[in-house]
Amino acid sequence: MTRTQLWNWALYIALMALILGWLGWGKPFKIQGLFLASGLAVGSLYALGGIGMVVLFRASGVLNFSSGAAGAAGAMTAWQLAEWGVWPPATWLACILVALAITLAYGRFLAPRLAWREPVVKAVATLGFALIILGLVSFLWIDDPRSITLPTDKMGIKFLGLRITVTRLIVFFASIGIVIGIWAFLAKTAIGLQMRSLANDRDLSALLGIPILKVETIAWGISGVLAGFTGLMFADLIRLEPTVITFMVIPSIAAAICGRLDNLALVLIGGLSMGVIENMLTLSNALKGARPIAPFVIAAVVLLYSQRGTRLTFGGRE
Amino acid sequence: MTRLLRVTPSGAAGLAFAAFAFLAIPLLAGKLWLSVFTSTACFAMACSGVAFMYARLGMVSLTQVGLMGVGGWVMLRLNHAYALPFEINLIVAGLVTMVFGWLLALPALRLRGLYLALVTLMAAGGLEIIFATFQFPNGGEGFWGVKTGSAGAFRRPALAQSAEAYFRYTVALVTAGFLLIEFHRRLKPGRAWALIRRSEAAAMSAGVNVTLYKTWAFGIAGLLAGVSGAMLAGSLGLLDDATFRASESIMLFALAVVGGARYWLGVVIAATLYRILPALLNNWGVDADLSFVIFGAGLLHAVITAPDGIAGQLGDLLRRVVRRPSKDTPEDRPKDAPA
Amino acid sequence: MKLKTALSAAITLAGVTAGGQALAADPMCGANTGEAASGDPILVGGIHGNAAPGDFSAATDAAKAYFDCVNANGGINGRPIEYIIENDQWNPELAAQAAAKLVNDTDTVALVANGSFIEMAVNAGTYAEADIMVMASACAISECFESSNIVSTNQGPLPSNLGAVMYAREELGAENIACIGLNIPNNGIWSCEAAINYMEENGGTGSMALINPGAPDVNSALLEAVSSGADTILINQPAGLALAILKAAEEQDLRDAFNWIAPTPLYDLSIPDQVGEYWHGDVYVNAELAPFQVNGPDAQNWIAVMDAYARPEDPRDTFAQAGYLSAKFFTEMMLEMDPADVDDRAKVADAIRAIKGKTSDLMCGPYYVGDADFHMPNHAGYMVKIIEGGYEIVRDCYEYDSSYFDPHLKLEAEMGLQ
Repeated sequence: MTRTQLWNWALYIALMALILGWLGWGKPFKIQGLFLASGLAVGSLYALGGIGMVVLFRASGVLNFSSGAAGAAGAMTAWQLAEWGVWPPATWLACILVALAITLAYGRFLAPRLAWREPVVKAVATLGFALIILGLVSFLWIDDPRSITLPTDKMGIKFLGLRITVTRLIVFFASIGIVIGIWAFLAKTAIGLQMRSLANDRDLSALLGIPILKVETIAWGISGVLAGFTGLMFADLIRLEPTVITFMVIPSIAAAICGRLDNLALVLIGGLSMGVIENMLTLSNALKGARPIAPFVIAAVVLLYSQRGTRLTFGGRE
Repeated sequence: MTRLLRVTPSGAAGLAFAAFAFLAIPLLAGKLWLSVFTSTACFAMACSGVAFMYARLGMVSLTQVGLMGVGGWVMLRLNHAYALPFEINLIVAGLVTMVFGWLLALPALRLRGLYLALVTLMAAGGLEIIFATFQFPNGGEGFWGVKTGSAGAFRRPALAQSAEAYFRYTVALVTAGFLLIEFHRRLKPGRAWALIRRSEAAAMSAGVNVTLYKTWAFGIAGLLAGVSGAMLAGSLGLLDDATFRASESIMLFALAVVGGARYWLGVVIAATLYRILPALLNNWGVDADLSFVIFGAGLLHAVITAPDGIAGQLGDLLRRVVRRPSKDTPEDRPKDAPA
Repeated sequence: MKLKTALSAAITLAGVTAGGQALAADPMCGANTGEAASGDPILVGGIHGNAAPGDFSAATDAAKAYFDCVNANGGINGRPIEYIIENDQWNPELAAQAAAKLVNDTDTVALVANGSFIEMAVNAGTYAEADIMVMASACAISECFESSNIVSTNQGPLPSNLGAVMYAREELGAENIACIGLNIPNNGIWSCEAAINYMEENGGTGSMALINPGAPDVNSALLEAVSSGADTILINQPAGLALAILKAAEEQDLRDAFNWIAPTPLYDLSIPDQVGEYWHGDVYVNAELAPFQVNGPDAQNWIAVMDAYARPEDPRDTFAQAGYLSAKFFTEMMLEMDPADVDDRAKVADAIRAIKGKTSDLMCGPYYVGDADFHMPNHAGYMVKIIEGGYEIVRDCYEYDSSYFDPHLKLEAEMGLQ
């Protein structure tokens, strides 16, 4: 760890302690614990969404706004199958498969046609795709109160006075597991090596004979599975409403920014911090009304801080 | 001076279009379509800001609709707090939003490309929450000025009390906005922007104050957003936070790309797709969900097939029909009048 | 959805067998002549919001069914009603455009069965200016109840909250309520404040915890409510968010530590299934119109009209009942008017303002309009409890007792309705 990194970590810890201390000042420890634990629970959802985006962005250069919509389509399918009395594990699998199919369809057939455009245009094009999916999903399932319940919702443990269900633990540990798994995949496998090379320089990688299409398809596949899993978790833990799940991508991007669209461990930490600060803001009478703003402010600060001192004079590729 | 005032063919077409809108549309359209066209004109002005930043400087702002909200908020706040005339409120709303644009420019000095876009998206996300939490002033007490019950009265400009006159007023302002950009493009800032777009290093070595001109661009985009938001507030008499979601800002940028950010016609097409198409689909009784699908599919199709935007395609088509092959490089075509 | 259709079928069947009238499948509408109306149509408009965040079209669907039925049964003195429906898609500009089209560009005589979250705020001024009356059915915001030209059949969150809180205070021993509302001034804050005022007027206390509608997290608001020291939690939310809150509360196993009460949005036939067994018997919901098991003659006629003239997928819910009622009262009023005046917007508006004393077994109190800057004819309701497969009535029709209604009661006294 270099000196700067150490300094950054120290700064992060000091800032978090300061913010949490300020917000929690004078409140009973039990209440602080409640909001802290609840914040970790929400934060791990932000992180999970962000991780899925970063995995794909690194390999393909596409920031995918449609992952939320794919997850929503999957979750609605799972709900419908459950209503028809299908065996629950099959409905969960269906959720992941639907999201996978939607994401792969975009990655395989539409994304290559935009390969030469700038990253921003690639990103906004996925919003068009998200609208198509969201429109179809809302058309197929008219507005009605719905919910998905997983068996793990009934089991739980106590943490800081808050009961944490096993589902939330799954989300939390899955995000850590995915971070480690992806790291290992990128570091140890041939495809991982090729992905890293694509992320570094597309044109050079193509010259070197790296099978871009294959590598990218795998990346889209991984992100599709993650989108499906995230959608199922959002549906269970947040709300089974397609619009809400679709637009969860915006705070998820905030988490992704904390890792500079690159470092998965930082995405996780960023997502968790956002959740915690957002929840702790409830303790401040002045700020609680606007607490969902926390992810955006944090992401903007992180982005600006990480670029401090740089002057984009001779910057090459973006 | 002659160079500054020279009217290109495209520019002439643009002015003719504005004149047609000004003179003919209020005579032809009913109240429904006047209301649609007024809001389309407002969004065209906001869109021209995004389009010009993208086409001239390669900078992507995903906050434009959020900034419109800022302008609209200031307009409503002033309208309900003081008895000042509409025009003064409009100017203040534009200037306040310009300052917001400058604030947004701070990161732009260090960031570019996707990262700049993302930091503006975060700003849009933040504004969305602010608007949703505090709402738009409607005549209540206090700083936020929100009350329950019916909204207070909105004073339209003395010149434009009726819907027809207000539409003409908007068209005149939008035309002025387009001309503002075009004059900038033809003067020193335009040359500086062209250099910055090519290479900041080259611009800097040529003695261009990169910081100043980038900030300036954000200020203009902010001004246009602020004025258009204030005009939108005047069109409805009140605003709702649903209009200013972060996803709407992304959509406006996407449509600027689809329409063709380099051309005035592109901006008009973008605004048409943004406001007239949904109104048409709604009027035809197309299911709201399905019009999402049509809209998304159209967006994707245009982004994929028309790299220069629909306006660019139309221009090529026109040139082919007139059989006058363009010798200009795509980068410097002179006939791309107002961005 | 499937459940709703099935249930409505069951209700119809119950009506047929229990009542023995065998008329449930034979709807009664308007003049009830059985002859189709012809001639110049009378134009009537309706605006609903149906797009991403929610579907408020049930009321206009039901009104459309009723008007179709009227047109098949003699219309208004032989003339059909042409019912034009616009969708505001939760977009304020489209809402303004819908009103421009229906009020300014078309000679509609009135708007009936409007249902929206934003339309009334945007258009209240337009309606007053054009002096057209709006007999809305699915209102959720203060503008709808506190402006001169809009009157709604449904109660909206404020009275329904008061009803729920009143029940909790009187029957469940509530002394301190926490109202979890939407962070929207003219909806959540407006209606939560009224509930808290009610508690304070009656020696209790209350607080509110607010949620931003787009925010994913409901946990922090729930925890805020829980840590406020309340004994009763009022879930003043649309059904989707209310479900999320109940789920978060189940996660914390909070059921037995509080009384759980809610206004009408939680009275929806999909809810008992979706909240799950954990909550059965423990959530009390205020119903602003008669619950389905009351099933009086008008409720049966409503189902008959829906079955004969609505699409099978149109919801049979509270909003649909409210839409049916608005359309029915409007039609009755039109039939009582001088046939020469039914095309005159101003005269129709006057006639609507003169409506009073209309009753239905779907509503507890009489329906009236009156000439005032506020309208809230419906301020009495039922209290029900979520049980497995449906709802159990725990309190029959009762008037909500709050100082908020003082001006309304005064107006009613002036109109001779007391």
